[in-house]
Amino acid sequence: MTLAAERPTTESTTKVMTMAAALTDALDLALERDDKVVMYGEDVGVMGGVFRITTGLQGKHGKARIFDTPLTEEGIIGTAVGMCAVGYKPVVELQFGGFMYAGLDQIISHVSRYRYRSRGRWNTPMVIRFPYGGGLNLLEQHHDSPEAYLTHTPGIKVVIPSSAYDAKGLMLAAIEDPDPVVFFENIKLYRSLKEEVPTGYYTVPLGKARKVLEGDDVTIITWGAMVQTSLEAAKAAQQAGIGIDLLDLRTVSPLDLDAILESVEKTGRVVIVHEAGLTSGFGGEIAALIAEHALFSLEAPIVRVAHFDTMHSAFNPINHFSRPEPTHVADAIKKVLSS
Amino acid sequence: MPELYAPEMFQILAPDGTVNKPELVPDMETVEKLYRQMVRVRFFDDRLASLAKQNKMGTYALFGGQEASQVGSAMALKPGDYIAPMYRSTGACIAFGWEPRLAIMYWRGHPEGWRIPDHLNMLPIIIDIGAQFPHAAGVAMGLKMQGKPNVAMSWIGEGGTSQGDFHAGVNWAAATDSPAVFIIENNGWAISVPRAVQSKVDYLMRRADGYGIPGYLVDGNDVLAVHHIASKAVEDARAGKGASLIEQMTYRIRPHTTGDDPKAYRTEDEANDYITNKAPIDRVRKFMTDQKVWDEDREAALKLEVETEFAASLEAADNAPTPDPRALLEYAMVNPAPHLLRQREILEQRIKAVEHA
Repeated sequence: MTLAAERPTTESTTKVMTMAAALTDALDLALERDDKVVMYGEDVGVMGGVFRITTGLQGKHGKARIFDTPLTEEGIIGTAVGMCAVGYKPVVELQFGGFMYAGLDQIISHVSRYRYRSRGRWNTPMVIRFPYGGGLNLLEQHHDSPEAYLTHTPGIKVVIPSSAYDAKGLMLAAIEDPDPVVFFENIKLYRSLKEEVPTGYYTVPLGKARKVLEGDDVTIITWGAMVQTSLEAAKAAQQAGIGIDLLDLRTVSPLDLDAILESVEKTGRVVIVHEAGLTSGFGGEIAALIAEHALFSLEAPIVRVAHFDTMHSAFNPINHFSRPEPTHVADAIKKVLSS
Repeated sequence: MPELYAPEMFQILAPDGTVNKPELVPDMETVEKLYRQMVRVRFFDDRLASLAKQNKMGTYALFGGQEASQVGSAMALKPGDYIAPMYRSTGACIAFGWEPRLAIMYWRGHPEGWRIPDHLNMLPIIIDIGAQFPHAAGVAMGLKMQGKPNVAMSWIGEGGTSQGDFHAGVNWAAATDSPAVFIIENNGWAISVPRAVQSKVDYLMRRADGYGIPGYLVDGNDVLAVHHIASKAVEDARAGKGASLIEQMTYRIRPHTTGDDPKAYRTEDEANDYITNKAPIDRVRKFMTDQKVWDEDREAALKLEVETEFAASLEAADNAPTPDPRALLEYAMVNPAPHLLRQREILEQRIKAVEHA
């Protein structure tokens, strides 16, 4: 676990960046640093991606390094497996998390197993990146949070940053990583937050949570856009004198269990917040781990805040009743303190 | 459906061993190499079928009867080329250089059999249908990007052509002009489902038109025809002319796997007709005998050679130590996640418990 204050300070220059700009910067640096890195997907070349994350990269690095491909998620992911076999490090983009399902067979059956299946002969050190998450009033399948399908898949890492600084450092770590990584980029966070980000190359380690707030009364465990949602509720609670330990997991697989247990043992009260549906969501795994490792530290039942168990709807005017909002997190804080 | 021009099935050697395209018969050294390899892999398949009956194998996907289709195509490749096999491709894998000892161990579920040797550009055997085609397309695209003079070859059954991955893979390689050779081994049956159920089109190789690449219809039981067309596709790919799609008409004389019983869905007449009238090995032997380059003595010597090799492979496989249970958690990740490390501790406890029992 690292605190924001512990960020490396060796980089002399920083620049105010959105998460989108920080990601572009990371991809640019990766292309520059390692000629085995290639990027491809739908619309990533000439246009720079539907969210413009690869803007300018084809012009700078050329069509051999970043290019547009046929419109097929199973093809994009499946060919990346083959590209790894001849020594490349593909960083492929899927247009939306909800479009990943068309390529999920390749992730579950092949990307995650190729090393195990060939007993180390073939590796799949790729990064599969895509925008995910709600809040922008787009279409169906443009808002899904499909992390639980992936955390249940052995052999892959699942990274979900919540800030521009982390997005850049985690992306560079993901590209360096010898295991396959699925990288979630929250569409609402792409351009809603800005912060100082080093312009140079740095990595944020995978599998380490970040403490966003320190407090003694309630632990909130969350990731992605829900860090902001929870932070709003947590700040209001702090003003009312309730100390919140807010943990941003950053990497949901592998999970920083030590950071979770350390916080739970301190507060004894846990709220888990995620944007994906409640049932069999990754919050269930976290609750189970707390029950296994720190049950007797708990002073109240764990409370989960999650999307209702429906598809993430495109009923934009009413979605906020389903998707976790700061008020829902505030209610959860009250509930976990009431017993 | 509009009237389609019926493509001619490419054949060099007729089932009776007579030659109908003498100008395309390769030198006799090549013919003999193909023949010897067919006999070798077919003997492997025969023996694994019989070992399975004795309960000495795991589930094994038989390829017997498809030896021309697999040997003829795999032997069109050169060192540095890649193969992306499926579960029925064991004959192709062995012809490509996979040791029979490892193949036996693979099909017995021994982790050392699953380990693909470093010198062999063989991608893992794919069990779910069709996924190997995008992998082959990716290898081919990468080879092209690196400017290497190599190709990727992959096989699929006629049933597999109904999968999305078939389309994703062939279309990708075609669209990117990548050096891939995609082979449909049309053996008539997807477990119990006949070819006609898969598609309305008469010949699956017609799909090549839809991808803008050459398509070939080949007698998959004529190893000379298979080798000729596969070599053409491979050399075209090597020369930068992109991908090809080949449909090799063959037949699955055996059950789908050692766990299947075809009596539930087809008559034995069909298989017997194939074995009697279309068998790939017989026609080459007849041809070589007619050419006076083969006789009973040579046949007996070859038989002894393949029997001896198989016996040694089987003995080595039989003598392989029982796998270390630690193999279960090896190679799951390069940097194992903490939860895997915790599971290693549990595994160690279980190993100790058994050792002390």
